[in-house]
Amino acid sequence: MMTMAQAQAGAQAIHAKTYATDMEVNARVDKQADAIASMADSQQANVLATTDTVVQVSAHSGTHHAADEQAIIEVRNVSFCYPGAEVNTLQDVSLRITRGDFVAVIGSNGSGKSTLCKCLNGLIPTYYSGDFEGKVLVNGIDTSSTTIAQLSKHVAYVFQDFENQLVRPTVFDELCFAPLNFGYENYKERAQQALRMLDIEELSKQWIWQLSGGQKHMVALAAALALDPEVIIVDEPVAQLDPAHARLIYEKLAMLNDTYHKTIIVIEHHTEYIADFCKNVILLDQGGRVRWSKPVDAALSAIEELQELHIQPPQVTQAMAALQLRDPATQLYPVTIEHAAQLLQPLPGQQLIQPEHNASSPPEPLNIDNSSDSSDRKALVIIDHATSGYQSMNKQHTATLRDINLTIYEGDRIALVGNNGAGKSTLLRLIAGIRKPWSGSVNVCGNDTRSTTPEQLSDAVSFIFQNPEEMFIADHIREDIEFFLKARKQERIEPFINHIIDTFNLSELQQRDGRLLSGGQQRRATLAIGLAMKPTVMLLDEPTASLDIVSRREMTKLFDELHEQVQAIVVATHDMQLVADWATRVIVMHNGEILLDGRSEEVFQQPHLLELAALIPPQIVQLGHRLQWQQPALSVEQFVKRMKQLTLLTSAGPSPTR
Amino acid sequence: MEITNPVHKPGFWEKISVERIKVELLRTAYGQSMTFLSRFDPRILMAWYAFFAITPWFIHNKVILLGFLIAIAILTYTSKPSLLVLLVLAIGLISDAAYMLVVSLMFGGGLAAAWALSTLTLKLLVITLASIAVFTSMDPERLSDGLLSLGMPAQFSFGVAYGFRMLPILIEEYNNILYSYRLRGKSPQKKSLRMLIYSFKLSVIAFYPLILNTAKRTRTTVEALEIKGFTYAMHDPKVKKLKLSYLKITLKDLAFLAVSAFYITVVFYLGSMLEL
Repeated sequence: MMTMAQAQAGAQAIHAKTYATDMEVNARVDKQADAIASMADSQQANVLATTDTVVQVSAHSGTHHAADEQAIIEVRNVSFCYPGAEVNTLQDVSLRITRGDFVAVIGSNGSGKSTLCKCLNGLIPTYYSGDFEGKVLVNGIDTSSTTIAQLSKHVAYVFQDFENQLVRPTVFDELCFAPLNFGYENYKERAQQALRMLDIEELSKQWIWQLSGGQKHMVALAAALALDPEVIIVDEPVAQLDPAHARLIYEKLAMLNDTYHKTIIVIEHHTEYIADFCKNVILLDQGGRVRWSKPVDAALSAIEELQELHIQPPQVTQAMAALQLRDPATQLYPVTIEHAAQLLQPLPGQQLIQPEHNASSPPEPLNIDNSSDSSDRKALVIIDHATSGYQSMNKQHTATLRDINLTIYEGDRIALVGNNGAGKSTLLRLIAGIRKPWSGSVNVCGNDTRSTTPEQLSDAVSFIFQNPEEMFIADHIREDIEFFLKARKQERIEPFINHIIDTFNLSELQQRDGRLLSGGQQRRATLAIGLAMKPTVMLLDEPTASLDIVSRREMTKLFDELHEQVQAIVVATHDMQLVADWATRVIVMHNGEILLDGRSEEVFQQPHLLELAALIPPQIVQLGHRLQWQQPALSVEQFVKRMKQLTLLTSAGPSPTR
Repeated sequence: MEITNPVHKPGFWEKISVERIKVELLRTAYGQSMTFLSRFDPRILMAWYAFFAITPWFIHNKVILLGFLIAIAILTYTSKPSLLVLLVLAIGLISDAAYMLVVSLMFGGGLAAAWALSTLTLKLLVITLASIAVFTSMDPERLSDGLLSLGMPAQFSFGVAYGFRMLPILIEEYNNILYSYRLRGKSPQKKSLRMLIYSFKLSVIAFYPLILNTAKRTRTTVEALEIKGFTYAMHDPKVKKLKLSYLKITLKDLAFLAVSAFYITVVFYLGSMLEL
């Protein structure tokens, strides 16, 4: 059922606007006029939409299903302003989502994505008493004339901070909770059914607090399913999960969509997941306006438009756009690895990619300086046979780190990767001195951590927690940033603090409580706190979670600027792009042990290792693997460069579309 | 795959760390699913507990109190309470007894007065041990459902269960906030009075960010409760009945009450015969 109603029945004004933007964009993108088809497509869609006809654009297959064209969600001219806020968070939004669709809502930070979704489950306007205009129909029910409880039988919602939506002690209790509240006699069967649907029956008896993040997310989803809703909304599933779990969640969502015909709506930054799983995309502009709603291929192909809104298109799409390789049939850039690989496969008689040439090609020059041998660099952190762990409830000591040997040198830019529970956080805590080794020793800049207090170590080490909120201990973030220097009674810190605040673009936020900032802003604030400590070694636990592409780039740029002061950086991360294009050294952990300590390329060349550590290489690396490159390119730029070299070397035409 | 490490012997400071307290609290709350007392209906246990929490105040006969104590001590033993809880209890009792002794000596009452005051200690011991025995044997869920069935408001009984569900998360977060202060602050020189004051001060001020964070996370929780029909259910008596339908007073419960009643009668009889 890959169908979609293209845009907004009954909203003439918006049609006109959308039409105009689409025209502009298309005009810009298609300067070279080689995508006439796609333009015609969207024109047609808009024209038909203005005449109030339901247009179905097939996302993949090209088949139309007339029976499924009814809308399950209709948003008509909705504007909303939170109480106390000065501007509208949503501005004249009109949408239509058809039954059985799998829609991604994208947009930059603060574009009203979550607010839009809260309109769909009735929290707005029933629970939030802001200024609400317009009308939302879910399954034919007007959300403003019903209760949230009634609506939740139709719409399920998995929050971004899903941990806080779990209110019961055990998994089974959690699943029974909602059906019980609605007085369903068969609440136990409903809970069992939800467990079965997601195939997580083994979690049934577990305590919520013992679950990993991925499992908690699954339970939150299952709890939503226990009411058997038609629509499931998931707010940023990827942000808090490791890549393998994120993929698992998406696979489950796709299964619910296919097998149980649920309508799925996700809010998502990560376009590669959208490309692989979603059918349609709704783009929200700054200020809560809908810019357009398109099938996924067309949506993600609009590279320039996405980048302008700080949304990073899938890497393969970026690469193919740089190479100007379009699908000959649709005139769109491919958005999945599969599709890109197909286009790059040599046509009969052509040899676009020659394996023997590839093997002999010189290794890519890395943009990192790894030439100096580690032995003549200063060792900053020496971990010697360290073991550490936690005590569990049954009084057993569970080692989360076992016999770790590791030396961190001056100039190291380390990415610490591995699945959840591999011991990454424990390792960082050992280095920060807030956890002492049970056996073995940890030496940081000449101090044995066992005989040093965390306060003393903090002169050399700064540690950025995974949860930013645990780092906001002062009244506002400026005070948080100053805290370290003020505690040491340093004088004339004003210029330095101002510089840090400016660099992280926090000037306007400096008098606000850190807790009240958005996710991305919180990250920036914690980075500023860490850097204001002028550390020798900087430790970061998952710093890129919920950072958009611009902030992420700022962060790595700042690391480079600071190389004089910050001599070593260790980042625990799931962000494989950070591993690929920033780290000079990658440490892969699994089950409390170090599996590999080497360079990025080495990691990506060992599929079994990646699987063990629940890692998924960046798309561009995967594409390299698909093309059977022995040494896959690590970044889009490398890939494009190498492709251009290859096409120059082969005499045949470069692209099947030309 | 988890490997236990028998070599590691935690030091004293590790034993009283925040993390350790968390583990102990969780064990107290949820760890004992199969103790002797846990087999009975929560309402029966609450009635039983009510008796042992209230009557000692009106009994001045040491024999009866001792009789109570023996039975309750055994039940406490079977419920395998956490050492930490017992330690806190012991500290309380010892300091209590010591101060009574000091006071009675100072005012010339001598040991006789202390002996008389020991009745109070005995009462306190019975009551606290009864609390430990019952509450370590009853997980928060059963407690909460028991309270609901006894007519407590739904918000209150939900609060009990939710409080325990949040406890581990809150303790963890408190620990991290404490480290946030420590990783950015500057401590006085080691092992001085100022260090003690510094530690105490930190342990108090770390609560402020915790409270603010909790207030914020509660927003999602309250929204989620709304979605999950919690307020909807409160107006529907059918839901309460459905929810509590698993609570049933069986023969086993009645037998437990009968044995208790018989034991209490015997103790009272002995009390009237003997004198201490």
